[in-house]
Amino acid sequence: MPPRLLRFLGRAATTAVSLSLALLAWAAFARYFAIPDLVPTPAATFGMGLQMLRSGALLDHVAISLERILVGYLAGCALGIVIGTLMGRIPIVTQFTDPLLQLLRPISPVALVPLSIIWFGIGDLSRYFIIFYGVVIIMIMNTAAGVASVPHIRLNAARCLGARPGQIFLRIMIPSAVPYILTGMRVALGFAFMGIVAAEMIGAQSGIGYLIMQSRTLLRTDIMFVGLVTLGVVGAIIDGCFKLAIDRTMKRFMEHQVNI
Amino acid sequence: MTAPPDPPRPSGIRPAPAAGWTELALDSVSMTFNAGRPSEYCALAKTSLAVRRGEFYCLLGPSGCGKSTVLNLIAGFLRPSAGTIRMGDRRIAAAGTDRVVVFQDATNALFPWLRARENVAFGLTIQGMAKQKAAERALQYLELVGLREHAGKFPYELSGGMRQRCQLARALVIEPEVLLMDEPFAALDAITKRILQKELLRIWRRLGTTIVYVTHDVGEALLLGERIGVMRRGPGSSIKEEFVVGSPYPRKPTDEAVAAIYARVEASLQDEVGVSLDAA
Repeated sequence: MPPRLLRFLGRAATTAVSLSLALLAWAAFARYFAIPDLVPTPAATFGMGLQMLRSGALLDHVAISLERILVGYLAGCALGIVIGTLMGRIPIVTQFTDPLLQLLRPISPVALVPLSIIWFGIGDLSRYFIIFYGVVIIMIMNTAAGVASVPHIRLNAARCLGARPGQIFLRIMIPSAVPYILTGMRVALGFAFMGIVAAEMIGAQSGIGYLIMQSRTLLRTDIMFVGLVTLGVVGAIIDGCFKLAIDRTMKRFMEHQVNI
Repeated sequence: MTAPPDPPRPSGIRPAPAAGWTELALDSVSMTFNAGRPSEYCALAKTSLAVRRGEFYCLLGPSGCGKSTVLNLIAGFLRPSAGTIRMGDRRIAAAGTDRVVVFQDATNALFPWLRARENVAFGLTIQGMAKQKAAERALQYLELVGLREHAGKFPYELSGGMRQRCQLARALVIEPEVLLMDEPFAALDAITKRILQKELLRIWRRLGTTIVYVTHDVGEALLLGERIGVMRRGPGSSIKEEFVVGSPYPRKPTDEAVAAIYARVEASLQDEVGVSLDAA
């Protein structure tokens, strides 16, 4: 067997063992210690999940949540990269924006849910905003750090090779900041998933967050667990795809990060 | 063994410079950092320097004496607090493609997301040369510095010496009038350093580019420079004394004429360092 395949199988086996152990622990806990209504067994959870998959309800919830995450996330990334770049380049922008940013940082997206509903109503706009808010702060900070940390001599090198300010910005600063921006985007993606439950807590009639909140009212912990597991699985899969995409397409920008 | 005749400059755009012209001149240049603040520091005071066209000029001095400041001023990265810097009859006000710097820290100076040939082509494409033509020129210059077979590698895949070769090719490809080298080989091992010194001399003699070479190594200055300017210790540094090294290339440290100048340069430098440089 080729060594690469072997390594892959080894990693897969470790992952399988780790997940099985967690499932086993969950099953044992549910069975021997917990009150069945409070902690559903893995079997009950997956049974419920399968049933919801078959009826199509689960996928509908996932789809609508993903759409909300995507809109808020993309908007947050776009604005965060623009503001972060300006902060990284223009000191006055940093001096102006940074205090505000430091004040906003401890305010979690959850804390903004009531305000967001007053401002944007109970429609999706309010949910986009919650996700957007969590994402934009991270993206501003990471982009600014990336742009500010471009080695000075690299800028000077480009300058004496004839690059004009606009070219230096596009062809030196942005590529130099790519590792920071992409890392920020991955972290922010996690935050977007964390924010979705908060975003769907009030007023939503669909989505994974709604599913979780609604099952609390109905005291259906099995449905709640389906929601939680789905959130974890979908989030992990998307993060995995994101990482794979970075490795495949952005290798030349990322490689030097680990190899200096 | 006879060396083959030197081929013409790769592009042939700019004729080989006539020797003897004053190409680069610093006239009473002073440089004060953080003027008016408590951290005010006068790095250079009334430094004057004239480098002839095609000359290999070494700036030698103890650490922190302002050698790199002189280079950054010539490069146009810094503006002098007083005095003027001229290239021919133009006054230098900003960085320009007629003066290209080769930095000591090649890892940060190169563009890590570009392959060696893309790094070299950067200065050409950024100035609007067609991609195809720029790629060809880049390969010619990679050939010149002996890096042709590594053209497709990224900087992190190159050794320290190869990175410096790559940086050299990237600087030379845009055919600057002056090459500014800031201790380019100081971070390399002794053997790589000697190979690159030899390569640099070969390339300089072939292209005729004026070189201002900053170093703190007396031996290196003597092997490379036609003229050596020894700088005073800062603050308020300037060029203290100049030595002409007339010996033909390739030079050996043991050549009698070289050894004689070595002693004089060393003595001059030692006054600035303040302690004896002799091994105990």
